[in-house]
Amino acid sequence: MSTTLERPALSATRKADVAKDKGTLTRNQVRTGWALLAPALLHSGVFIVIPVVAVLVLSLTDYSFGDTWSWVGFGNYSELFRDVDFLASLWHTVLYAIIVIPISMAISLAVALGLNQKIRGLGFFRTAFYIPTVTATVAVATIWLWIYNPGSGLANGFLSLFGFAPNRWLADPGTALGSLMVVGIWQGLGTKIIIYLAALQGVSRDLLESADIDGANRWQKFRNVTLPALGPVQFFVLITSIVGTFQVFDLVYVMTRGGPGSETRVLVLDIYQNAFQDLKLGYASAETVIMMIVIAVFIGVGRLLQKADTND
Amino acid sequence: MRRSVGLTLLAAALAVVASGCGSGVIDKSTDGVAPAEATGTLRVLLPSFPPSNEGRAQFQKVVEDFQQKYPKMKVEPDFATYNNLNEKMSTSIAAGIPYDVMVTGVGWIQPFASKRIFADLGAYGLTPDVIKEKSIAALIPAVTYDGKMYGYPLLADARAVALRKSAFIEAGLDPEKPPASLAELKIAAEKLTKRDKDGNITRSGFDLASASGFRQSFTTFLASTGTTLYEDGEPNFDNQAGLDTLLWIKSMINNVQPYGQVNAAQQPLVYSGEAAMGIVGGAVDCGTGGKGIGQKNCDDLKFFRFNSGKEIEYLGGDLASIGSRSVHKDAAWSFIQSLTQPSSLDAMAKLNRKLPAYKDASNSPQAKSNPLSKFVADGLVYAANENEVPANWLEMRGNFDIQLTQAVLGQKDPAKVLRNLAGQSR
Repeated sequence: MSTTLERPALSATRKADVAKDKGTLTRNQVRTGWALLAPALLHSGVFIVIPVVAVLVLSLTDYSFGDTWSWVGFGNYSELFRDVDFLASLWHTVLYAIIVIPISMAISLAVALGLNQKIRGLGFFRTAFYIPTVTATVAVATIWLWIYNPGSGLANGFLSLFGFAPNRWLADPGTALGSLMVVGIWQGLGTKIIIYLAALQGVSRDLLESADIDGANRWQKFRNVTLPALGPVQFFVLITSIVGTFQVFDLVYVMTRGGPGSETRVLVLDIYQNAFQDLKLGYASAETVIMMIVIAVFIGVGRLLQKADTND
Repeated sequence: MRRSVGLTLLAAALAVVASGCGSGVIDKSTDGVAPAEATGTLRVLLPSFPPSNEGRAQFQKVVEDFQQKYPKMKVEPDFATYNNLNEKMSTSIAAGIPYDVMVTGVGWIQPFASKRIFADLGAYGLTPDVIKEKSIAALIPAVTYDGKMYGYPLLADARAVALRKSAFIEAGLDPEKPPASLAELKIAAEKLTKRDKDGNITRSGFDLASASGFRQSFTTFLASTGTTLYEDGEPNFDNQAGLDTLLWIKSMINNVQPYGQVNAAQQPLVYSGEAAMGIVGGAVDCGTGGKGIGQKNCDDLKFFRFNSGKEIEYLGGDLASIGSRSVHKDAAWSFIQSLTQPSSLDAMAKLNRKLPAYKDASNSPQAKSNPLSKFVADGLVYAANENEVPANWLEMRGNFDIQLTQAVLGQKDPAKVLRNLAGQSR
């Protein structure tokens, strides 16, 4: 036997009063909401929407800071895909992202797991790993320029201890991009470690204890408890890493300027060169649009992978 | 920094939109106004004064000279470097506040003149004859575009070649008979190159001074064969002379000098003995303080010029122009006149280790201050450079550096590289 509770029917007058109250209340809330949103919307409009629209419009022109310009339709885009420097830059950037992101995420997670233990000198290690992140990239790059110096650098000095011949690192087309990737991985560890560390401290102790009681070993606990709990954080780190690696510029600018040849030329450096050295702002704008699309594709793939992982 | 590039580009795009809405004018025009009554701010962009106390003090003297004629005008300097010159010019244009006076180098005038960013100085009576009479005739092509004059030379930046006498004697070569042609240079450089037991170069036989790209060295070596890089804006390097020159550079790199070799002091390697021969700038400090290499090192150097059919020395320079959108063009021209006072040019020459671009540079204080400056000043009649470059030279500069490097490192076929560069020049 079941019973059903029904609300007493409201009179027509009462219904109107409730609606009126709701309406008045909603309007106030809406106004307050818009008022609170206004600064952020204004900021987004002025500094994001308008510039993005301007870049889209400029990408359809041949504007080059001169007195005259004309519409070129999708001419810049079709020229881009015949431009060997752009294609090389795109390839180097994608390669840089594909290699740097997973390696830096894996190392960061491993270090964070280590720093999550109760070990001596924990504060020192946490600070040491975070220092590269707060150091200016120009300073970091300058130090690494010395490390990679073929004549007197630390890298060749260290390798010579084991009888290896000196390498020309940044001057060798075969090792230049890889050498930059090492610096990029090292510099990006700090932020990822901090994020992972915070997430690790939020992993449920109850679940870990339950796994202990069930006889799970360390790997099983990591694979089946810790890693799933880090899912949202992994996604956040992935997204920020994609954006960060696609925008790599300062490191390349200071260390190689894209050389030797165009072996370390990356997208943002190519955009910078086209916009501010060659004064082809329309062309550089088209390149920026392509970069935004590529980043969006990478983020989309990241989301799909994340969903697949969650469904598992 | 990386985000700042993206933001700067976005900001530049925004500024283009914003400047399109406004007039882009801050001051009222002073053109046609009596100098004593003219008011406003003259914006000056120049890499010719370092932002040091000494550089600022010397610049202030130029300002004081200018303000004798324009007492109510302010001068706002932007002490740029050649690395950020284009960046500053492009962002100022995008922001709608272009500079009134812009000092650039050889190869800048044609691209900016073609975009109508620089004003024709013919309006102020500047002709090739005026430059021949008062300045350095070899810089006339560098300031000419489409038959008009868009710049006035301030400084001449000449390059020579130096050898270490002691290294020559040690290798059984006569330092009094320096190699001049490309073939002779290669033979001598190979003899002068020292290696360790593993074959690694420990002393370069010849420093091509091309760590950041081979554009200038290619231009120099090509010119020494009697072939200019461009003729009337048309490419002149996609030929046998160009190919031979590029193949010669390729045969030198990693043979007599490791690719990318530089020293921490950013000085010519021949000064420190890291190379036995090499390209040097336009001045050497024989003192012991600062960048001085000491008298003993100086005495061990002998200077000469390339001559593989034509004796030449590479010549760059600082060239002053007026912005076409300036509302103070008359004042800007007056400022350029103050800049070109002999005392101003001498001060700039000393600060930049270049030569003052006035007629008798050989007798300038800078030329008399060190043996290398005297040598290059006396050799200005042999000056050569890219000649009259095409309007897309700013783009081509980078293309040359990248593609010549690819050819030298064996990544691309040299003949195809030259053909491609010729096709891209327009």
